Amino acid sequence: MRSRAAWSPAAHVILALAALVMIVPLVWIVLTAFKERNEVFSQIPQWLPAHPTFTNFLGVLDAMPFWQYYWNTIAVAFGLLAIQVVTVTLAAYAFARMEFWGRDVLFILLLVQLMIAPQSTVVQNYITVTRLGLLDTKLAIMAPYLASAYGTFLLRQTFKGIPKELEEAAALDGCGGIRFLLHVAIPLALPGYLAFGLVSITYHWNEFFWPLVVTETTRSRTLTLGLGIFAQTAEGSADWTMLMAMTLMVIAVPLIVFLVFQKRFINSFMQSGLGG
Amino acid sequence: MGVHRFGDQRGDRCRRPLLPVLRPYLYLLPTFFFLFVFTHWPILRTFYVSFFKWNMASPTMEFVGLANYAQAWNAPVFWEVLRNNLLFAAGTVPLTLGLALALALLINQKIRGLAIYRVFLFYPTMIPMAAAAMIWLWILTPNYGLLNYYGRWFGLPDIHWLGDNKLAIWALVLVGVWKRVGYYMVIYLAGLQVIPEYLYEAARIEGAGPWQRFWKVTFPLVSPTTFFVAVMVVIDSFQAIDQVYLMTGGGPGNATNLFIFYIYQNAFRFFDFGYASAISAILFLILLGLTVLAFRTLHRKVHYA
Repeated sequence: MRSRAAWSPAAHVILALAALVMIVPLVWIVLTAFKERNEVFSQIPQWLPAHPTFTNFLGVLDAMPFWQYYWNTIAVAFGLLAIQVVTVTLAAYAFARMEFWGRDVLFILLLVQLMIAPQSTVVQNYITVTRLGLLDTKLAIMAPYLASAYGTFLLRQTFKGIPKELEEAAALDGCGGIRFLLHVAIPLALPGYLAFGLVSITYHWNEFFWPLVVTETTRSRTLTLGLGIFAQTAEGSADWTMLMAMTLMVIAVPLIVFLVFQKRFINSFMQSGLGG
Repeated sequence: MGVHRFGDQRGDRCRRPLLPVLRPYLYLLPTFFFLFVFTHWPILRTFYVSFFKWNMASPTMEFVGLANYAQAWNAPVFWEVLRNNLLFAAGTVPLTLGLALALALLINQKIRGLAIYRVFLFYPTMIPMAAAAMIWLWILTPNYGLLNYYGRWFGLPDIHWLGDNKLAIWALVLVGVWKRVGYYMVIYLAGLQVIPEYLYEAARIEGAGPWQRFWKVTFPLVSPTTFFVAVMVVIDSFQAIDQVYLMTGGGPGNATNLFIFYIYQNAFRFFDFGYASAISAILFLILLGLTVLAFRTLHRKVHYA
């Protein structure tokens, strides 16, 4: 234990430096977002805004349908999760607690989704979505993820942990089959659902490329696309204060939620890595 | 559960489904319907289409055998993209691995303020790559960018990071590492926490210093994690697109054109679906090989734990 104590000051210095490097970009954009437009074009770095202003944030609201993007993002992330919970629960329960012909083969076919990169099927999925008449809809953004191998895998592990005796006892009490699933298995698996939900929502809140491919108008575009498209317009690419204000508006709420529930988030992501 | 026969005594008060044999398949139906339409079918179809000429000039599909693959083989841009991607991986993998492991080791010491450090190191995982791209565009911008301001302190000239043929890819590496290192640190933490404390005690009794303890105990025991993380980072690097699209557009020239961006260009800017499918198929095979590798190690790790 003594050697640990000796380590500590050095560890603090290194960790503090690393933390500083990680946080400086965030601090810099927050401060930029409150500056006046011309203030940033100075040869010497000015950290604090000379005349703090909200103009940039109001400018963002004028320049684009920001709240529409926000709503689309919420609808996609939470709508998708709602569907995923249904598909994933049923499949995970079948794989965990039922015996049937072809189970192992089907499980491998499920894992194929974890093994392939979603990006390598973007072209074909774009064609499919177009043929289904879903182009430029929120459903198109959700489509490739409606089944989730990761979620199924995670919940299958959880369901497997429920003792067989519990199921038999419940069945004796008239609570077998789907009722056992609803009243016993799902409540017992809530931590698993939470972990899956946090990872899924974060992933789809942040996703950029697939929504870029399948959306065409503000009707279905999400926040990340609003940000990306604004940055590529002539006025957006030159206007750093407004661009940073918009970046801040995009990340603020998720970051605050993360700060409040940081332990849960980090543990969920830890599991996601171990699950593949 | 097996097949129930009528007259089974258990669960009398529960209504039994009409066809118990079908029940598991009914449960799997929604998942496998979506899985087939959006995962299995597109994989098969990508390979199928890759043998056809299908573009703006010939909107009806025409079988051309391996012509699309030959086109890739003969295209200097394809090789440049592959080289860029390997370079991007060669930069990202050792940096991410080294930093993630070092930080995990430091954080694993039960020191004070651990939660705060962890939050600071992890938060870039939570923000969209699109936002990270904006942040770094601003930091890397010539003349007024933060990096050039402080580069001047060290006597560096003003550098146009993203406009430079050689440097642009390293700027993307920097952003990639910054965004992901906290995530992999956390994965490493999980790996470190299963190493039993008594091994360190034993090493200490044998008189091993911190350096020896790292190389003789920690490093070998986290090696499955290291291998797994390495494969994941390589796969990540082949999937990188957001920062390319938003920060460089593949330029200058094709200096930062990576695989997915190349597919995107061919499919959605040049509307050459046949060729785009052929490159997608190549990428698919590369990633499949890597993932099989990762899954094998993962299984070993599960058995070990």
